[in-house]
Amino acid sequence: MDFLVVFIPLMPILSAVIIGLGFISDSRVNDDREHKTALIARGAIVLTCFLALTLLVCDLLGKNSGHYTVGQWLASARLTVELNFITSGFSVILAALFSIVLVIVTQFSTFYLHKEPGFIRYLFIFSLFSAGMMLIALSGNAVLTFIGWEMAGLCSYFLISFAYNRPVATINATRVFVTNRVGDASFILGIALVFIYLGTTSWVELNSNVEQLSLPIATVIALCFAVAAFAKSAQLPFSPWLARAMEGPTPSSAVFYGSVMIHSGVFLVILLQSVFEQAPFAMAVLVAIGLLTAIYSFFVGLTQTDVKSSISFAITGQIGLMFVECGLGLWELASVHLCAHVIVRGYQVLSSPSLVFNGNGNPMLPVSPKIRRLRWLYNSSLQRFWLDPITERALVRPIRGLGKDLDYFDSTFIDRVMGTPTSSVRALSSLVQLERKEKETKLPYEASDFGRGNGVAGKIFEWTARIMNWFEERLVLKGIGMDMIDIGRMLGHSATTFEKLILKPRYLVLFVFIMLLIAASV
Amino acid sequence: MSQAEFPLLSLIILLPLVGAVATGLIRDKGLAKSIALGMSCLVFLLTILMLLVFDSNKSDFQLVEQYSWISSINVEYLVGVDGISVLFLPLTALLTIVAILASWNSTQHSHRFHFALLLALEGVTMGVFCAIDMVLFLLFWELTLPPFFFLIGLWGIGSQRRGAAMKYTLFMLFGGVPLLLAIILLAVNHASQTGGVIPYDLAFSLPVLLETHLPIELQNVVFLLLLLGFAVKAPLVPLHTWMPTVSMEGPTHVVALLVGLKLGVYGILRFTLPLAPIAAVEFSWILSAIGVVTLIYGALIALQQTNLRRLLAFASVSHVGMVIIGIASLNIQGLQGAIFQLLNFTLIASALMLIAGFIQHRLGSTDVIHLGGMAKVMPRLTCFYFLFALASIGIPGTSGFPAELLMIIGALTSHTGLGVAALAGAILGAAYMLSYTRRAFLGPISNNDVAQAQDLRSREFVLLCFPALLVLIFGFFPDLILSVNQLSTEAWLARLRTVFQESHLALLE
Repeated sequence: MDFLVVFIPLMPILSAVIIGLGFISDSRVNDDREHKTALIARGAIVLTCFLALTLLVCDLLGKNSGHYTVGQWLASARLTVELNFITSGFSVILAALFSIVLVIVTQFSTFYLHKEPGFIRYLFIFSLFSAGMMLIALSGNAVLTFIGWEMAGLCSYFLISFAYNRPVATINATRVFVTNRVGDASFILGIALVFIYLGTTSWVELNSNVEQLSLPIATVIALCFAVAAFAKSAQLPFSPWLARAMEGPTPSSAVFYGSVMIHSGVFLVILLQSVFEQAPFAMAVLVAIGLLTAIYSFFVGLTQTDVKSSISFAITGQIGLMFVECGLGLWELASVHLCAHVIVRGYQVLSSPSLVFNGNGNPMLPVSPKIRRLRWLYNSSLQRFWLDPITERALVRPIRGLGKDLDYFDSTFIDRVMGTPTSSVRALSSLVQLERKEKETKLPYEASDFGRGNGVAGKIFEWTARIMNWFEERLVLKGIGMDMIDIGRMLGHSATTFEKLILKPRYLVLFVFIMLLIAASV
Repeated sequence: MSQAEFPLLSLIILLPLVGAVATGLIRDKGLAKSIALGMSCLVFLLTILMLLVFDSNKSDFQLVEQYSWISSINVEYLVGVDGISVLFLPLTALLTIVAILASWNSTQHSHRFHFALLLALEGVTMGVFCAIDMVLFLLFWELTLPPFFFLIGLWGIGSQRRGAAMKYTLFMLFGGVPLLLAIILLAVNHASQTGGVIPYDLAFSLPVLLETHLPIELQNVVFLLLLLGFAVKAPLVPLHTWMPTVSMEGPTHVVALLVGLKLGVYGILRFTLPLAPIAAVEFSWILSAIGVVTLIYGALIALQQTNLRRLLAFASVSHVGMVIIGIASLNIQGLQGAIFQLLNFTLIASALMLIAGFIQHRLGSTDVIHLGGMAKVMPRLTCFYFLFALASIGIPGTSGFPAELLMIIGALTSHTGLGVAALAGAILGAAYMLSYTRRAFLGPISNNDVAQAQDLRSREFVLLCFPALLVLIFGFFPDLILSVNQLSTEAWLARLRTVFQESHLALLE
């Protein structure tokens, strides 16, 4: 019954295509369309769930061969990527479990988002996401897993910015996506390294040929995938994205960051068990990062005042523990932990809006008095250990600043050196723009009253100073020296600008980065 | 080389030119437009026919037509296509149809001249992709200039359109000089290598020149000259400044043609590397360095842009950097990825530019300060925008993904540092695209004009459907493209390697 596996991710894709085409042809929303859309999405995911369960039963009965190949997706000389799937073991169990959660959440969503303006959009994205998750769980090669990985990330972007007229939601969505992109880059690096050293992208071949890898190579490959997993599962130092991601509607939070997508990092590590076992250092990194995240999440979780953020820190903490288990070689335990966590957390996040109602009358558990006395810990916990501002200052702002400088450089120097006619790029098209521009630029040098004196002597000095100033300004500067002063001032300005630029840490960092790049390649 | 029984390529080159003349001569405006559209559709069908005739199991030039042209110096009319160039023809034809449809109602004056120029541009562009005689190539190359000059200067949307047209022309004329020098060098070298007399034994045909031995010192000169000539058009940093200017001043459908047709990079792939193979392998680090600088430089500046048209110009510069990295990696994956991405440009970059044009047409600006919250008012336009923006980032499911994956794997295989730079570029790509999207398409509606804007009309909807469908099809079935150019790229690379190894063996002996 191996062939069933193909239809598992295909069903939600089909439903997404139908919903999407329907939306493009007619974007109005009414009850009837809402009903039909829900029917399509629900039908597809129920079918997926049914197929996944059948596959699981077949696997338990021993009727599956382990792999199923549909055909070739991409071929370029030695690099071939096939459309192949894993049809036995943990992958199938997880696919079945995920699909059950997805069915429940799809049903929940149709109630939760009833009469919301983005109902159709939501189910379209949700179907795509279901397909992505099924691909992650079942695909037999790294590229296909990455496709699912990226689909899930993209859907997460769209659902965080679900209420897209709220600027905060869209800012958070963009930030989350770009943060995840770092993990994706690491994933691609891992795929490329596996291809370079083993000539394959298939998980099975990777796991069976892992002995051919030397220790440093295995370590680097394992670390690449580990970074990808940390980014997806919101481990340190990527953790802050999870709190930002909670902007989306509750059912999507439940399934993305509560029970399904957030676990794909751990799943990836479990999938690459043999590679990690080949690389003790990578295992140590798993333990260290997992442990740090668990501790971090515990302390930050203590001071959260709303349900969603409180749960989000509980999630990262538990997942940190799973990474610790993986790192210690307790793979079975990690798998069981994962499955249990999927179920519990799915329920918890779904019911979080009514938690206050359900928990009415039960007082909150007080924090142990020993911890309560530590003021510094309280402060750091409230600030979530300043992780977000640190990344903001250390990464985002320097890169933006670099862009700004380069833009200035491009339009002032390269454009002037290269271009003959001036361009109208700097021209203004509205008053608002002018206002903004003026706010950005500081006012130039302004002559003002200097020296004020008191008493007779003071006043005498003040007057003489004024006369001297007048004399200098009117006769010396405007007469002979104006040009020279202007030139001097301009030179001074450029020199200060240059100096300021050089002193900015981003250039130092950039320089170091370039040196590292060169060193890495030599 | 297999000769053509029927002059299909000549027809593809000449038909648009004939159409251009017809469009220019007919008095009736509506009829002229219809003729232009009909002719471009006919050319598209011909290119599809050519694709069916084309045999992807041969790595050599096919459908070759050879006639003597200027016999006193051996210049020939020699056209042909191989796996590398063949796919550019149908996509160019498609892009022309799309551009004609996009500008259907947007020109204010001299309609016939406008559509005639678009057709003429199509014809000479086809010529650039088909010509395998150096002089013929240079002729078509320079002939792309006048249509662009008039299209930008006469129908531009910025106040400095004349200046921009002039700037573009001066840049391109500057780029032509090193090309001409390199071609003369190559021809003279052929004469001296064969011991012949100038001008009777000069050779300008690419297949002949590829067989001619070129001394290493000359190779270096030829490589650098050709690189310089093509770098202007590509454009590579620091010769890119015409690109943002033109994108701000020119009419968007013409800018879409400019960012879609990457003739400069095609030239590097077709002529620069194969004609100077030893220099190419030895100087591949120069190419990589230029590629990395262009990629990161373009992306960082794009991060700062508030205007979609200018942002797309820098994004296009950045993507060209990525393609150059793919080419410089000198392995199959990198090369196939680079060619794939070049084909993608005709779909993705141009479609995004057209969408910018639609926004400009409705709201009079593409600057975020006048936009915001467009997703609410224009859901269809936003859907298309997202599709193409995601394709430009390289999200799976779109054709951007296989191309980018191949280029990055290729770069990593040849040089770890190169690959890491390419990955950094990919991250920045998501950042600049999405942060513009956030400010222009999402968020609350703050502008009254936006609130009253109209969504895509059916003409615009249909014309965007073509590239959108192809982006999805190539994204799901990348082998459609890869299988066409597989053999040609392998042969291209094998030739480079054997020549290089022979030269090394000769040095050792």
